[in-house]
Amino acid sequence: MASSIMKQGRLVPWLYLLPALVIMFIFIVYPTFNTIYLSFLDKASTRPASVNCVEGQSCWGVFENYHYALTNPEMVTALRNNARWLVLMVPGTVLCGLLFAVLADRVRYESVAKSILFMPMAISFIGAGIIWRFVYYIETGSGEQIGLLNAILVSLGRQPVAFLSNPAINNYALMLVGVWLWAGFCMTILSAAIKGLPSEVLEAARVDGASEWQLFFQIMLPMIMPTLAVVTTTMVINVLKIFDIVFVMTGGNFGTEVIANRMFTLIVTDTGRSMAIAVVLILLTVPIMIFNVYRFRKQEEMA
Amino acid sequence: MSKKVVFTLLVVMGLMLAACGPAATPEASEAPATEAPTEAATEAATEAPAVPEMCMGAQPGDTVTVMYQWSGTEEEKINAILAPLVETCGIQIVAESTRDDAVLDARVQSQPPDILFWPNISPLRLYTDRLQNLDAVGANAENYAPYWIEMGTVDGRWLAIPVKADIKSIIWYSPAQFELYGYQVPTTFEELEALVEQMVADGNVPWSMGMESGAATGWTGSDFIQDLLLVQQGPDYVMGLIDGSIPYNDPGVVQAYETYVRWASDPRYTVGGAIGTLNTSFLDAIYITFAEPPQAMMVKQSGFAGGEIVSRYPTLVYGEDFDFFPFPGAQGMQGGADFMMVFNDTPAVRAVVAYLTGPEGAAAWAQVGFDLSPNLLATGQYADPQLAKKAEALANASGFTPDMGDTIGAPFGEAEWAAIIAAVQGEDIPTVLQAAAEAQAEALGR
Repeated sequence: MASSIMKQGRLVPWLYLLPALVIMFIFIVYPTFNTIYLSFLDKASTRPASVNCVEGQSCWGVFENYHYALTNPEMVTALRNNARWLVLMVPGTVLCGLLFAVLADRVRYESVAKSILFMPMAISFIGAGIIWRFVYYIETGSGEQIGLLNAILVSLGRQPVAFLSNPAINNYALMLVGVWLWAGFCMTILSAAIKGLPSEVLEAARVDGASEWQLFFQIMLPMIMPTLAVVTTTMVINVLKIFDIVFVMTGGNFGTEVIANRMFTLIVTDTGRSMAIAVVLILLTVPIMIFNVYRFRKQEEMA
Repeated sequence: MSKKVVFTLLVVMGLMLAACGPAATPEASEAPATEAPTEAATEAATEAPAVPEMCMGAQPGDTVTVMYQWSGTEEEKINAILAPLVETCGIQIVAESTRDDAVLDARVQSQPPDILFWPNISPLRLYTDRLQNLDAVGANAENYAPYWIEMGTVDGRWLAIPVKADIKSIIWYSPAQFELYGYQVPTTFEELEALVEQMVADGNVPWSMGMESGAATGWTGSDFIQDLLLVQQGPDYVMGLIDGSIPYNDPGVVQAYETYVRWASDPRYTVGGAIGTLNTSFLDAIYITFAEPPQAMMVKQSGFAGGEIVSRYPTLVYGEDFDFFPFPGAQGMQGGADFMMVFNDTPAVRAVVAYLTGPEGAAAWAQVGFDLSPNLLATGQYADPQLAKKAEALANASGFTPDMGDTIGAPFGEAEWAAIIAAVQGEDIPTVLQAAAEAQAEALGR
């Protein structure tokens, strides 16, 4: 009797896990390894990538696709732009989300305010891109400005601005759309964390004479730190794979190229390079995943 | 308003259906071809026991298998063009419609079609040894301009001839506006340049050059620059850029870019200057040229612009309110062509080849109006005035080059568009062409 229980104990968990493992293997593990494999082949996935080497130019052998992914001028632009997106959009969404969450917590019409801020998340990203194309639209002929921003500028007696084709501002114009889309998401999660704070602690602090600023920075912020970390890492991953906004609004033209759009553009014409870009993207996200898992473990240990 | 929305939806859905049609329904495409000849066969058997000369000895009931990319109305048109031959000789055309190179390849390896119609000459290089010499199967070379024969000749063997062509080297304008200001349609490039300067002097904006097209932004500029290259350098030069024998940063290309950018980035020459060129969609660029009041005098765009103008402004009349002229001074035309290639030599195949390259086929092609027939005998027989004018331009051309953007493949093509965008944005032309030339060398160098 005891031995059969032991047997069951070893086997049954695996049986329960099996469907998940099979699905994971088919849709995650296999594609990942196939992607890595294809990234060492040429554009038609028949010969090693080293056939792409041009005589007289530096060559990375079978890593030639990575040579492209890391040094091609278009790719350098894409990598630089992704870095800008990270630096601006992650803090942008998290800070806006935190601000909204804290402020909304203190007003009577909280649910209305939060619904409005969360609404962009309900729009498809492609739809949002199209909406913002109209907002940024510039009429260059003799017609009226129908783009919201340029209509405002012109009514104030200013010159219309080509938000999407002017390389000095177009990246920021796109990032603004990203913040608009994602700030609501950050707000919802952070708001839930704030609601979950034990009111006794906050009350005790207030009784002890803490100012609202002290309350926020020294009590609330440390207590919601784990949530804040989750939101931040989620946003970092989201921003690394940013695609829809750029694809719809500029198609990666005018110096707005990003890694994922480059990957998409090349997938048909040059599979090897596209896969190498995908692997670069995976490698960029892996440390963040590891950090996330590490945090989870630590939290569980604490609990 | 809501009616309009419903209508638009229907149109979009119709287009989607049309686009989905060909691959999914190869059987359906055979149906019209098989029905018609059975009737004809009985007629031929009862009325004309002697086989007419145009049948080249084909017997009623003989079949010809053909493969092409045409579908829907295109397929109806090719059937209408072949109908006189099919009815006279009682032969049967068995058609297969595909756009897939892989399907074509599989068929050629196992059971090649008798005749292949394909929108490029890549099969010529892939299947050189399997193709029949066209002069041996009854094709009439004398009805074609020499450059067409040259394009279809490999190692001294004449293997492909275009049956259908369309030209893109055209400029749309409003005859009414031209009359108002006393402008003449230019016939040389010098006249075009003078006309542009005249328009600027009169305070009119000559061009509408908007080229925004999402991720494909740049292709309109690519077409324009190719026409400038055809003026300044000629068709052989363009072919050299396509096959990689001339680097894309050659001084000739720099010159064409300089001409283009001079117009495309200056608000006196084009609507909105550089910002307008980059931000105005290519469709809006057409519309604003024919708006009330017009924002520009001319827009360089392919034949589809005519349809766009009519659908946007249904009251405008071709020939009065809108019309086109061939790009002045172009030494060759830019466009697309469908080539005929022959795999099997049978009497029925000879009949089809002789028919399409001879006078009867030319006349049928022109009357049906399936774009243009490069067959010189078709010129002057077109029912549609727009096609008649294009046919005249094609007949007068001394060369033909495929649309570069469609031919050179994505990596080089994208680099070309990026160079055009950068040049319009005011970057140094030799520098931006350097990057495109590198992409060209990489794509075509080996």
